[in-house]
Amino acid sequence: MKVAAGFILGASLVLSPALARAEWPEKPITLVVPYAAGGYTDAVGRITARFMETALKQTVVVENRAGGGGIVGSDLVSKSKPDGYTLCMCSVGAISIAPIAQKTEYDPVKSFSPISIVSTIPQTVIVNPSLPIKSMDELVTYAREHPGELNFGSSGAGGLMFFSVALFQSLTNTEMVHVPFGGGAPATAAVVAGEVDLSFTNMTDALPQMEANNVRALAVTSAERSPFAADLPTVSETVAKGYNVESWNAVMAPAGTPDEIVQKVSSVLQEMAKDKDVVAAMANIGAQTVFTKPEEFSQRIAGEVAQWDKLLTEIGVKK
Amino acid sequence: MVEVLSLLGHGFAVAATPENLLFCLFGALIGTLIGVLPGLGPVATISLLLPATFALEPVTAIIMLSGIFYGAQYGGSTTAILVNIPGESTSVVTAIDGYKLAQAGRAGDALAIAAIGSFLAGVFGSIVVAFAGPSLARLAREFQSPDYFSLMVLGLIAAIVLAKGSVFRAVAMIFLGLLLGMIGMDVNTGASRMTFGLIELSDGISFVAIALGLFGIAEVIQNLEGSLARIVNRSKIERIWPSWDVLKSARGAVMRGTLLGTVFGFLPGGGATVASFSAYALEKRLAKDPSRFGHGAIEGVAGPEAANNSAAQTSFVPLLTMGLPTSATMALMIGALTMHGIAPGPMVITRQPELFWGLIASMFIGNLMLIVINLPMVGLWVRLLAVPYRLLFLIILVISSIGIYSVSNSPFDIYLAIAFGLLGYVLRKLDCEPAPLLMGFILGPMMEENFRRSMIISRGDPLVFFQRPFSLTLILISVVLLVTVALPAIKRKREEVFSEEE
Repeated sequence: MKVAAGFILGASLVLSPALARAEWPEKPITLVVPYAAGGYTDAVGRITARFMETALKQTVVVENRAGGGGIVGSDLVSKSKPDGYTLCMCSVGAISIAPIAQKTEYDPVKSFSPISIVSTIPQTVIVNPSLPIKSMDELVTYAREHPGELNFGSSGAGGLMFFSVALFQSLTNTEMVHVPFGGGAPATAAVVAGEVDLSFTNMTDALPQMEANNVRALAVTSAERSPFAADLPTVSETVAKGYNVESWNAVMAPAGTPDEIVQKVSSVLQEMAKDKDVVAAMANIGAQTVFTKPEEFSQRIAGEVAQWDKLLTEIGVKK
Repeated sequence: MVEVLSLLGHGFAVAATPENLLFCLFGALIGTLIGVLPGLGPVATISLLLPATFALEPVTAIIMLSGIFYGAQYGGSTTAILVNIPGESTSVVTAIDGYKLAQAGRAGDALAIAAIGSFLAGVFGSIVVAFAGPSLARLAREFQSPDYFSLMVLGLIAAIVLAKGSVFRAVAMIFLGLLLGMIGMDVNTGASRMTFGLIELSDGISFVAIALGLFGIAEVIQNLEGSLARIVNRSKIERIWPSWDVLKSARGAVMRGTLLGTVFGFLPGGGATVASFSAYALEKRLAKDPSRFGHGAIEGVAGPEAANNSAAQTSFVPLLTMGLPTSATMALMIGALTMHGIAPGPMVITRQPELFWGLIASMFIGNLMLIVINLPMVGLWVRLLAVPYRLLFLIILVISSIGIYSVSNSPFDIYLAIAFGLLGYVLRKLDCEPAPLLMGFILGPMMEENFRRSMIISRGDPLVFFQRPFSLTLILISVVLLVTVALPAIKRKREEVFSEEE
C-alpha cells in the first residue's frame, strides 16, 4: 500500500512540472539579506528562508549583500526584476530612515512592494546603575536639570540607536550629548563600563546585561510592552506619549511584483507567524514574530517616513 | 583552582564526544588549509561555513569555527616561511625572517619552531582563558576610549619602528594607510567621506580586498616579472625536528611572544596581528645582535608565531565574558552563537558552562591535533605549494577572488583588490613596505573613533589622555619608542642594519 502510494506520488512529481509552468515559484528564490552573514538580520533571514522553503517547496537562497547600513542590498532588490524571484529581508534603518537621512536611489514607498513584517524588536532604555536615575520620569527630570551633561551611546550617526534618542529628546525637551560607537554591542558595553550614561539598546544586546545586573533598564521603546521584559513600562506610557520606535525586519519585493505572488508570499508568512518552531527560533534571538498585511505594512512605512522626516528636518541632519 | 579543574574536566567530557572531536579535527584541517593558501582567510572561511553550522549543536559549531581560526595561525606561517607570502595577516612578520631561513636551507627549523611555538603558546593561552578569563575580562573592562586611543598610537609607533628601510617611507605608508582608512561613513555625523558617490565604498574599503591586493596579488605580479623559479623553495626540508641549539635559542622568544600575545589577545582592538608585530619588535630590541633580524633570525619566527597563537586563544575572553568582539573573526563567532540563540555576554560562563568549558577543552585538543597536522605532515602541505607556480598563481588568484567575492557578494571588491595589487607592486618598486600601510588602515579608524569619543566625553579637554593611568602608561611607552628611533646614534645604527640587507 505504502509502495503504491509512493509510486503514485512519484509519478505525479514527474508530471507536475508541465502543470506548474505558470505557477510561481518554478525556480529557486533569492532572499537578499542586506547585512553581513552572522548578524541579527541574517538570522531572521535564514529562519524565514527555511520556512518559505518548506511552504513553497522551492529552494530559497539567502544572499548576503552587506554595505552602507543595508542600503547596498536594498538598492539591489529595488532594481531587480519584479518577478518574485528576488526578495529582500529589509529592515527599518535602510527603508524608513536612510532615504531621508542620506541619499539613496530608491524611494521607501515607491520602489518596493512591501509584503510583511516578520519580526520586531524593541529598544530598551538602559542606564549605568551608578546614576541616581531609577525611572523614565527621573531620567527626564535629571536631563532637564543637567542639560548637556548626560552622555548617550549609539551605533553611529546613521543608526536607529541615535535617531530614537533624538526623537526622545525632541519630545521631552531634553538635551544630552551623543557619543557614537562603531556598533550596538560596544555602545552597550560602554554603558556597563560607565563610559557613557545611557543608551537606547536593542533588546537582544540589553537582555544579557540586564540579567547580570550590569545596567538598570527603565523602559522599552515600542508602543506595547515586550514579552521579554513584561515588567518594563513603555516610553510612551511614562514620559512621551505616542513615542514608538521599533526595529523591524520584513520581506519586501521590488515594486511592480505581480499581486498573486505578493499574496502567495503573504499567506506563507501569515502561517509562519503561527509556527511554534519559528516563534521559538525568533525568541532565541530576542525577536518577536509578527505578521502584517501588505496594505498595513505600506501605511506603516509611510507613517514612519513622515515621523523621521519631521524629526530630521528639526534637528537638521536631513540630506 | 580545584573548581576550575573540575569545570575543565567537565569541558573535556563535552569536547571529547566523537562528534565534537570530529568537528574539532575538521576545523583544524580547514584552518591549516586556508592558512596555507594565501588569500582565503579565516574571516572569509568562517562566514562561508556559518550557514553550514546551523545544523550543528552550538558547542560543536563554535568548536569547529574556532578551530579554523587558530588553525589558520599555524597554517599561515607555512606559506610565510616557504614562499614569503603570509597566508594570514598575523604571519606578515613571520615571513621576514622565516623566508630568509628557508632560503638558507633551514626551512625545517623555521617550520618546526613556528609549530612548536604556536603549540606551547596555544596551550598556555587556553590555560589563561580557563583560569584568568573572568578576571582578565574585568581588567579589559576598565579600558575606556582614551586608553584605546593610546593603545592604537602605540601600535602605530611600533609599526614605524618595525618597518624595514627608511623611517620616512614607513611614516608615509602609515599616513597613506590612515587616509585609506578614512574612506567611508563618518561615525559621528553619518556623512560619506571620499567615497566619490560610490555606494560600495560607504562602509570603507574592504579589509580583505586591501590585504589581499597589497600582499597576495602584488606578490604574484612581482614574481611573474622575474624568473618563475625565484620563489619556489628548492631547498629540501631535510629534517623537521630542530636541533637542541635551535630550540634553545628560540626558547626565550617563544616565552616572551606567548606572554605578549596573551595580553594583546584580550585587549579589544589589539588582537593577533598587533601581537605578532609587537613580538617581532620586542625580539629585535632584546637581541644582542639585532642585525641578524631580516636575515634569518629564528627568534623572529618564534616570537611572532607564539604571540599570534596565544592571542588567538585569549581573544575569546572578551567575547565570552563581555560579549565584546575584538575582531572581524570574533564578530562572526558572535554571529554563530546568536544563530543558535546564545547571546554572548557575562552570563555565558554561568548559563552555558558546557559551551565555555567545552570550547576551552577543545582548544587543548585542537592545538594537539594541529601540531600533528603541521609538523609530521608539513610535507603534505608543502607539496600543495610544489604545484607548478603557473598553476599555483592561477589557483591563488581564483581562490582569492572567490574569497573576496564571498565576503560581500560584490564584484566591486575584486576590482579593488586588483587595484591594490597594482598599487602594492608600485610600492614595492619604490621600496615602500605595505605592512605599515595595512597597520595604518586597520588602526586608523579605531584610533579616530576612540579619539573623537574621548574628546566628546571630556568635552574637548585633551588632558584626558594623560589623566588615566592606562592611557598615560601607553603614551609614555610610545614616546620612549619614538625617541629611541629618532636618536642620531640609534638612527645611524638602524640605517646600517637595514642597508646591510641590500
